Amino acid sequence: MAPPIQNRIAVLRAERDLSRQQLADALGINYQTIGYLERGDYNPSLELAFRIAEYFGLPLEAVFSRQPFAPMSSQLYRKEESA
Amino acid sequence: MIDDFDKLSVTELRLRGMTSDKILAEQKRRGMSKEAIHDAWFPKPPTYNRIGSRRFRRRLVLATYTGWFLLAAILLMTSMALPGSIISLEALPILLVANGVVLGVWFFRKTYISREVLSSDKGLDERLVQNRNQAFRRAFQIFTGLILLAWPLSIAVMLAQPGHQGFVDAFVIYFAVAVLASTLPTAIWAWREPDPLEPEKLQV
Repeated sequence: MAPPIQNRIAVLRAERDLSRQQLADALGINYQTIGYLERGDYNPSLELAFRIAEYFGLPLEAVFSRQPFAPMSSQLYRKEESA
Repeated sequence: MIDDFDKLSVTELRLRGMTSDKILAEQKRRGMSKEAIHDAWFPKPPTYNRIGSRRFRRRLVLATYTGWFLLAAILLMTSMALPGSIISLEALPILLVANGVVLGVWFFRKTYISREVLSSDKGLDERLVQNRNQAFRRAFQIFTGLILLAWPLSIAVMLAQPGHQGFVDAFVIYFAVAVLASTLPTAIWAWREPDPLEPEKLQV
């Protein structure tokens, strides 16, 4: 069985102070779908995945991954250290 | 003044410190109609919010079908206990009414799991379309099995019980198939769709 697709939608939404309804309206989907995406109960189509990534202005791999995401804060800290 | 006044609900405006009087005054100043002001203060939940909990929907599915089949069983037993009486023929219009009630329950609750399921993709996103298609596929599988059973069964009861008793029994089978044919996809979707999530802001 393929590993589940991880996503950062909840974190990105929280960062931008968006409600599920606001994000759903912006993407033209049902707000329940946002919740199921965040919970990992539903995997989006490629088209929706791109739409979500484009909405947040990030590359697809920054929003979706096969591997569990490391916390954004630790990634950011590592980047600053290496700079 | 709050910049995004137009985008916020009355509840959100209150949370941002605006009093009810100020909100109303601002709405009037912006030339909002009476209906728009009423809707802003008493917003109707969106259609897709009214799907209820999964527990409620599952109970509704069980109650609807159990009620229908109990009624059909009672009518059949009554007609068998009093063969040749007018009571057995009265079973048919009663079952027609029962079918109407079941259809009413499923098709006139204004939720996206009711009549929208059978109409179009309007208002459904890719997940909902997928769920709807899965419900139809499962309903088709179940219904095919039922038809394969119901058809020979109705012939068998008519041959085994010549006269109007066999006719009544066959019609009961027909009504059972009719009620399932028209409600199964919706019932399957109602059974499967998870509990709705509140559209609240994420607390971090």
